Amino acid sequence: MEIARPEVQRFTGSADGAIKAAAGGLSFYYGAVNALRNINVPIHEKRVTALIGPSGCGKSTFLRCFNRMHDLYPGNRYEGEIRLFPDNTNLLAPEVDPIEVRMRIGMVFQKPNPFPKTIYENVAYGLRVRGERARRVIDDKVEQALKSAALWDEVKDRLQSLAFNLSGGQQQRLCIARCLATDPELLLFDEPTSALDPIATGSIEELIHKLKDRVTILIVTHNMQQAARVSDYTAYMYLGELVEFGRTDDIFVKPRDRRTEDYITGRMG
Amino acid sequence: MPQSEHLSKQYDQDLDAIRSRVLEMGGLVESQIQTALDAYASGNAALVERVIEEDERVNGFEVGIDDACIHIVARRQPAAVDLRMIMAIGKIVTDLERMGDEAEKIARMTRQLYESNQMSPPKFVDVRHVANVALSMLHRALDAFARSDAAEAARVVKEDAAIDAEFLAILRQLITFMMEEPRIIGRAIGVVWIAKAVERIGDHAKNIAEQVIYIVKGADVRHTDMANVERTALG
Amino acid sequence: MDAPRVREIRSVIARGKRWDVVFAIVGIVCLMIGLLTVAALFVDMAVKGLPRISLEFFTNFPSRRAESAGILSAWVGSTLVMVVTAVTAVPIGAAAGVYLEEYAPRNWMTDVIEINITNLAGVPSIVYGLLALGLFVYQFGLGQSVLAAGLTLALLILPVVIVATREAIRAIPAAMREGSYALGATQWQTVRYHILPYSMPGILTGVIIGLARAIGETAPIITIGALTFIAFLPSPPFQPEPPFLSFEWLFAPFTVMPIQMFNWTSRPEAAFQVNAAAAGFILVLMTLAMNGLAIWLRYRLRRNINW
Repeated sequence: MEIARPEVQRFTGSADGAIKAAAGGLSFYYGAVNALRNINVPIHEKRVTALIGPSGCGKSTFLRCFNRMHDLYPGNRYEGEIRLFPDNTNLLAPEVDPIEVRMRIGMVFQKPNPFPKTIYENVAYGLRVRGERARRVIDDKVEQALKSAALWDEVKDRLQSLAFNLSGGQQQRLCIARCLATDPELLLFDEPTSALDPIATGSIEELIHKLKDRVTILIVTHNMQQAARVSDYTAYMYLGELVEFGRTDDIFVKPRDRRTEDYITGRMG
Repeated sequence: MPQSEHLSKQYDQDLDAIRSRVLEMGGLVESQIQTALDAYASGNAALVERVIEEDERVNGFEVGIDDACIHIVARRQPAAVDLRMIMAIGKIVTDLERMGDEAEKIARMTRQLYESNQMSPPKFVDVRHVANVALSMLHRALDAFARSDAAEAARVVKEDAAIDAEFLAILRQLITFMMEEPRIIGRAIGVVWIAKAVERIGDHAKNIAEQVIYIVKGADVRHTDMANVERTALG
Repeated sequence: MDAPRVREIRSVIARGKRWDVVFAIVGIVCLMIGLLTVAALFVDMAVKGLPRISLEFFTNFPSRRAESAGILSAWVGSTLVMVVTAVTAVPIGAAAGVYLEEYAPRNWMTDVIEINITNLAGVPSIVYGLLALGLFVYQFGLGQSVLAAGLTLALLILPVVIVATREAIRAIPAAMREGSYALGATQWQTVRYHILPYSMPGILTGVIIGLARAIGETAPIITIGALTFIAFLPSPPFQPEPPFLSFEWLFAPFTVMPIQMFNWTSRPEAAFQVNAAAAGFILVLMTLAMNGLAIWLRYRLRRNINW
């Protein structure tokens, strides 16, 4: 419908990259409850994709399919697939070990959940789990991860103090560093700033923006403005279905679906 | 485009208030242009004064509506159709204010023409005809805005070409007059100014109509051909 | 707001507060009934027994003469039995608790097991004594030894340890577990690095409370045949010559504090009643000390963990 006008350039957003992952015909059941219905969506590589929708729409449930978090609890069942590229592995296949999936895909939770250990041990944990023993390697990776999470300058003098002594925003960045230490291919954020004040939220958003140069990011947020601020692509979910997926620029200016429009303009009753 | 209500009634009221102020401003500009044209036809100095005075009010509307838009953006972070509406209104009020300026130009030029006793109105009825077309474009553009009617807006856009053509015709006509009768050059140039103002009014009406299409369809049709405008507006 | 309304609100509040006062009084009375009784018993015992408490009381073996009789073999016996109990009950109980919480599938079998563990905590201790007599003393041929007694008491406190372990594990937020799994940890890595360390304060508290109960147990110990009069110590676990460690003490006959007390109270001479009171006072102090240790440990270990 829109004619091509190459001279009309967008100020934000970048060209479509490769596809890092894709959900295909994904349905999910909590026991008999059908929480997700036939979801099809691509996740672009080294871009931020935001999942938005009202409470209970299944956005967190969908996110947690990506690292097979649902496997931890009995009675959960997946249908369909989530392909991870370039190796085209179906993350949901029964023969794929969820531990393997989680070693490739990191996750940051809603409430900062550092372990009650030292800052250093929190970041080193992922490496220890992978059997890394060389002290020098671990020291190095911990420093790199903390630097990538924009936390190094604040904690470099107290790596051996407890993670709980950090502020909420610092704790969340520590949790991000914890994931980064093992170089994940895809990073999942489950409402990462819902427990944080606006300043800490801003620092996490800035960090997400920086991280997308090296890792693909999928973020669930109940804050539409946050989705608008940090994401390149937005998926709107409602009642367990994917209603609309598109570039964030388009979704927030000109959504195609009436339900998306009602939600993002605050008309959802 | 029937739109359901926001969860926030206050938000609905704020948006409605801005829309009706835009329409009020549009109505004021319409009457201002009408008055200017009446002054041009009759030479009534009081009407000229009224046009000039009304411009103050139009300017006040522009500032007030812009301020209200800024506040809605700051407080509500509008998205999608609301965002397009607010952004479009920011542009529409600029167009309306410029139209007011054009009306004032017509009025001032009219006074100048009549004061120098150079006026023989019936000779240039063409200007009044094209002016009426421009006025109706404005009226219909505002109508389209009030009803979120993209199709009507597309028709307004289309009509601008006719006004441009007519302006060129008037120009040619006046040039002919001036070559035939150099004594009327001063008067003719005054009429050219007035015709140019009318042509600008048409342009601004077209801009408003384009903004209406943007609000309703989310597509920017400025600086595209008529076929695209119609396809977008009707699609 | 007009004055009548304010008055009305105030009278409603006053009426409500009267009940606060009434309940507070009833509560204090109930609390005092329990507390004062125990305090009276304790003070009575202390007053009676204190004159007998001296260094010799701890270093002397029992004797026919009340003045020179001591509790050396009893407190050493109690301590050794407790060591055996703790060393066996902690790993077994913790492992069982971890299994039930982290590994066991959620089905009816697990439910049955859970219910039975809770029930086991209510089984009379004499029943454990009978079981131990048949199993440890005769079947396994452990004899009437420190080891048999320790294992018996371990069995007795096992349900307490398991329940304490499970409670402690349940208190760990799901976010910790999920955080660990999300980083690619296996179940064992999660248990080893998170579940066990974080639940340790709770487990230790449960263990010590269990031990405090076990140290006062008499019935099962008598059942398996502890001696009431013993005038020698088991061979010490640390030896001056290689291999330096000896486990002979495990198989030594023994007595424990409550049995020593029981023995003295059954004597006709009044002087032995004083001995019994003194031993009882020491036993209560040992129990209090263990509870104190539990509180201190919990406080110490939980300092780093606050979710």
